[in-house]
Amino acid sequence: MRRAPLALAALGMAAAAPALADPAATVIAVPPLSTPTDTKVEGGGTTLGIAWQATQLIATDLRATSELYPVGPDQKDFYSYPEVTAPGFQRWRAKGVKALITGFVEARSDGRLTVGCYVYDVDKGRELGRKGFVVSPGDWRRAAHKCSGLAYSAVTGAPDIFDTRIAYVAESGSGAARTKKIALIDSDGNNQATLTKGDSFVITPRLSPGAQTIAFTSFSGGTPHVELINVDSGERRPLLSGNGMTFSPSFSADGKRIAFAMMQGINSDIYVIGTAGGAPRRLTTAPGIDATPSFSPDGTRIVFESDRSGSPQLYIMNADGSDQRRLSFGSGWYSAPEWSPNGQWIAFTRRTLEGRRVGVIKADGTAEKILTRGTADEGARWAPSSRELVFQRSDASGRQALYRVTLDGEEPRVVATAQDGSDPDWSGVVD
Amino acid sequence: MIRARHLIAAGVAAAAAIAPAAGQFRRMPPQVQPKLVGIDALRAEFFAQSGGDTVYFGGSSVILGAPAKAILMAQARWLRRHPEIVVSIEGHAEAADTRDHALAIGARRAEEVRDFLILFGVPAAQMTATSWGKERVAVAGNSEAAFAANRRVQTVLVR
Repeated sequence: MRRAPLALAALGMAAAAPALADPAATVIAVPPLSTPTDTKVEGGGTTLGIAWQATQLIATDLRATSELYPVGPDQKDFYSYPEVTAPGFQRWRAKGVKALITGFVEARSDGRLTVGCYVYDVDKGRELGRKGFVVSPGDWRRAAHKCSGLAYSAVTGAPDIFDTRIAYVAESGSGAARTKKIALIDSDGNNQATLTKGDSFVITPRLSPGAQTIAFTSFSGGTPHVELINVDSGERRPLLSGNGMTFSPSFSADGKRIAFAMMQGINSDIYVIGTAGGAPRRLTTAPGIDATPSFSPDGTRIVFESDRSGSPQLYIMNADGSDQRRLSFGSGWYSAPEWSPNGQWIAFTRRTLEGRRVGVIKADGTAEKILTRGTADEGARWAPSSRELVFQRSDASGRQALYRVTLDGEEPRVVATAQDGSDPDWSGVVD
Repeated sequence: MIRARHLIAAGVAAAAAIAPAAGQFRRMPPQVQPKLVGIDALRAEFFAQSGGDTVYFGGSSVILGAPAKAILMAQARWLRRHPEIVVSIEGHAEAADTRDHALAIGARRAEEVRDFLILFGVPAAQMTATSWGKERVAVAGNSEAAFAANRRVQTVLVR
C-alpha cells in the first residue's frame, strides 16, 4: 500500500540558487505544462491532456497554501517545449508575477512518462530548482504533487506537504457495533486505504519517518499494547513481548527509536526502545501519569505530559531521561505534545473550562498561542512543513472528523475522509 | 424476633391457602420472567446484591468516594463467596480527556478498585484490571452529565 519511490529523471545540472527573499504570498504563474510530442498513453488520454490535468493539480496544491498565490492555469499561456528551460520572463514581469513554474510531460518508449518541472525567479530571470520523475501514466498525480512541492520549497525554503500521507483511525458504527481501523489517506484526500480489519479497537497510529511502518495502540487480547504494522505487507507484531499495558508510541526522526508509555500499577512512565528490538529503557520515575512522549527532531530531547504537579502539564527532558523541566504553566491541562519537524514549536491540546483546544508553544516555553476555537479539539500533529497541523474535532453528538489548521490561525479546514476520523498523524515527504 | 417469627408463619399459611386457587390456572402460559442461567444469572445476582457492578468518580479523580466504597465492599462480599468466578475490572474515562491520558486514567481507576477489593479479601488471582480509556463511552456527547457517566469502573464477571 506504500507507494514505490518515484524514479528520478536526470534533468541535467540543477542550478543551486537561494530561496526568494520574501515568502509572504508570492505570486507564481502556473501556465500549462508542455509536451514535446502529443502522444497517446496507456490507459487512455495523451501527454498533452495529462500535462493540462497536472497543471490544474499544481495550481490547486499551491492555492491551498498561505504562502503562494498561483496565477492560472490559463490555456492561452501555452509555451513551446524549448521554452520550458528558456521562458520569456519579460511577459511574466509585465503581469507582476514573481515566480514561474514550467514543465513538460513526455512519453517514454517503455510506456511510462517523464514529468519535468522548473521553478524560476521571474525578476532575476534565474532558475531556482528543477526536478524530473519517471512515472506510470496512472501515477501522474504524484509527479504533479512533487512539482508543487518543488515550487513551494523553492519559494518558502520550507519542506513541502503535497506528496505526504495522513494516517488516522477510521470509525464506523455505534455502541457495541463500533469499529475502529487504522487508515491512510493522501494529504490531498485521495487514495484512501484501511490497514486493519476492525476486529479489535485501535488508537493513535504513528507513522515512521518514511511511512513504511505504523506504530499504534491495540486493544486485541484485552490489555492495550503497542503494535507495529508494515504498511506494505500488513504484517503486525507487538512492540514488547510481555503482557504489560503500553501506549503512546512515537518514532524518533531517524526512525531508529520508539518512545512509549508503560503502565505499572497506578503509575505510567516513559520508556524508549530500539526499533530493531532490544530491552526497553526507563526514562521517568515520577509517581503519576507520564505519557505521550515526542522526540525533538535532532533526537536529543523528549517532550511529554506528566501530572506529577497535580494536573497534566508539558515537560521536556534529555533523551536519556536527565534534566526534566516543566514547560507549560497556564491554567487547565496541557496534553498530547508533539515537537515540530523544524524544532521550533511544540503542539499540544489544552483543556480549560471552555473545552479542549489545539495550540502551540515555543520549545523554550514562550509565545504560546491557541489555534482553534472548538470545544472538543485534540491530538494536533505536525505537517512536515512545520507550518500546519492536522487534528481531531468532535461535534456535539461525539462524531469525529479530521481538520487542518495553519499557524497563522486561519479557520480550520476539513480533511474529507470516507468514514469518521480520529487520531490523525501526518507523514514526512514520501520519496 | 417473636414478631418476625409470627409473620413468617402467617405468610406460609397464606401461601397454603391460595395454593388450590393457583392450581386452577395451570394451563395458562407461564408469565414469569425468563430464568437466567449460567453467567447471566450470576451477573444479575452480583448486580442485585452489590448494589451495582459500576462505580463512578468525580472530576479528574481516581479517588474512591463513599458510595463507590459501599458498592465495592458489597462486591467483595459476593466475590469472596464465589471464588470460582473470575472478574475483569474495567476502567473508563470521559471524552474530555485526551486519548492517551484517558487510557492511563482508566487504568489508574481500575487499579484503585482492584486494590480496594484485595483490601477487602478478594484474592488477587480472581481479578484482572484493564482500561478502555474513552473508547467505550456509556453516554455519548460533550455534556458534563455525559462526562460524569463515563468516569467509571465496571466489575465484569468473566466466568
